Amino acid sequence: MNAPDRNLHVKAPGVSELARIVRVNEEIKAIVSTAFRINLMALNAIFLAKRAGNAALGFGVLSNELRRFAQELTRHMATLRDMTSGSVGSVTGVVQQQRTSAILAAAIRLSGDGVPGVREARRRGATRLAEQQACLRSLDLRLRSAVEETQQLVELGGVLARSAKIEAAYGGTFSPALMQVSTDFAEVIAQIKRSLEILGKERLVKD
Amino acid sequence: MKQAHCIYQEDDHRWLAIARDATKPGYIIDTNEYVVVNGDEALLCDPGGIEIFPAVFSALSAECDPTRLAGIFSSHQDPDIISSLALWLEFKPDLKCYTSWLWQSFLPHFGGQDSTFIPIPDPGMTIRLGGLELQAIPAHYLHSSGNFHLYDPKAKILFSGDVGAALLPADHNGLYVEDFSRHIRHAEAFHKRWMGSDRAKRDWCERVSRMEIDMLVPQHGAIYQGADVQRFINWFAALEVGVLRG
Repeated sequence: MNAPDRNLHVKAPGVSELARIVRVNEEIKAIVSTAFRINLMALNAIFLAKRAGNAALGFGVLSNELRRFAQELTRHMATLRDMTSGSVGSVTGVVQQQRTSAILAAAIRLSGDGVPGVREARRRGATRLAEQQACLRSLDLRLRSAVEETQQLVELGGVLARSAKIEAAYGGTFSPALMQVSTDFAEVIAQIKRSLEILGKERLVKD
Repeated sequence: MKQAHCIYQEDDHRWLAIARDATKPGYIIDTNEYVVVNGDEALLCDPGGIEIFPAVFSALSAECDPTRLAGIFSSHQDPDIISSLALWLEFKPDLKCYTSWLWQSFLPHFGGQDSTFIPIPDPGMTIRLGGLELQAIPAHYLHSSGNFHLYDPKAKILFSGDVGAALLPADHNGLYVEDFSRHIRHAEAFHKRWMGSDRAKRDWCERVSRMEIDMLVPQHGAIYQGADVQRFINWFAALEVGVLRG
């Protein structure tokens, strides 16, 4: 085989890893934007509870908790985002090493295994690739663990939203408005749960 | 199939030309690579692009031990010249790459690290290969702003990068120029367009006219030898360069 065009199409398995990182980043961005919405919704709910007075004292406390939850969620997502941007470097390293090793392997196939130095070059390449893949696997584990922690936090958010709904029932004349706000909270948190489920299934490396 | 042809040999001092690849796809420019071998050391001139690495590596390995490669000479920064650098370094991490100081921080985008590069100052320098003293000859603005050719005073061979290049039709596979008048037609448009400076061209022509050259070996097309070397220099000196068309 001497035609270079066959080398042009050396399969780069790392490309799918980059695509996975993009998907992970997109989900994170969606959750960050939703967390920002909860923060604003919680602020509105705090004002609404103040206007409702004594009848909405419990609702006001829960709105404050929901606001704190939104801020905590934003912090979690920032950590996740840092981890995925770090993983872009690792994936790029893997992609480059895989491509380089594949082209070198094509050269060795053409030249024959007897050429001095090729075994050492192969071994060096394989070692580097293994190191980079190990680094990526460790990042993947950390990312999965961080997603699980965030899922637990969001479970707490779900409990707060349900409690807010119960408190809304005692809101007197403000009850319909408070009910609407707490329903919105529940919907938004359900949306975050769905995004986190998708995120939990994504892997930076194949198992 | 790219093959290494020995174009000069005296004892253990050889020049190999890895030239003219008829099997390469048409959308990649055809390139010539040259290997200077002296005793236990070898220097690869303009190793070529990523896509042709397997063909060049295989051709080189058939004629010389690739672990003896001590360095790479990169006449300038173009991808068809040196984009395979990372692959050569993958094979031999301690390779040194000689290139214009101007490209010292650009070529690492293709591969290598600080210790890989040996910058050539504008006036040129001597590159030692075993006991052989090769000379990096300035050819700035022909066509690159930091451009060097490589002269072997013992073999009287000048590796001239893009100067002397000819974009030959696929069926012109000869290693050497056989009919200068016919050959130079395929070099004219290339030189008019790619060589941007008349002053640089005149400087180069004067410089190389003073040198003893038996063979002028370009990065594209066939090799000039004997009287064709001076014919080429005279032709180039008279050529209007830096021309978009005509």
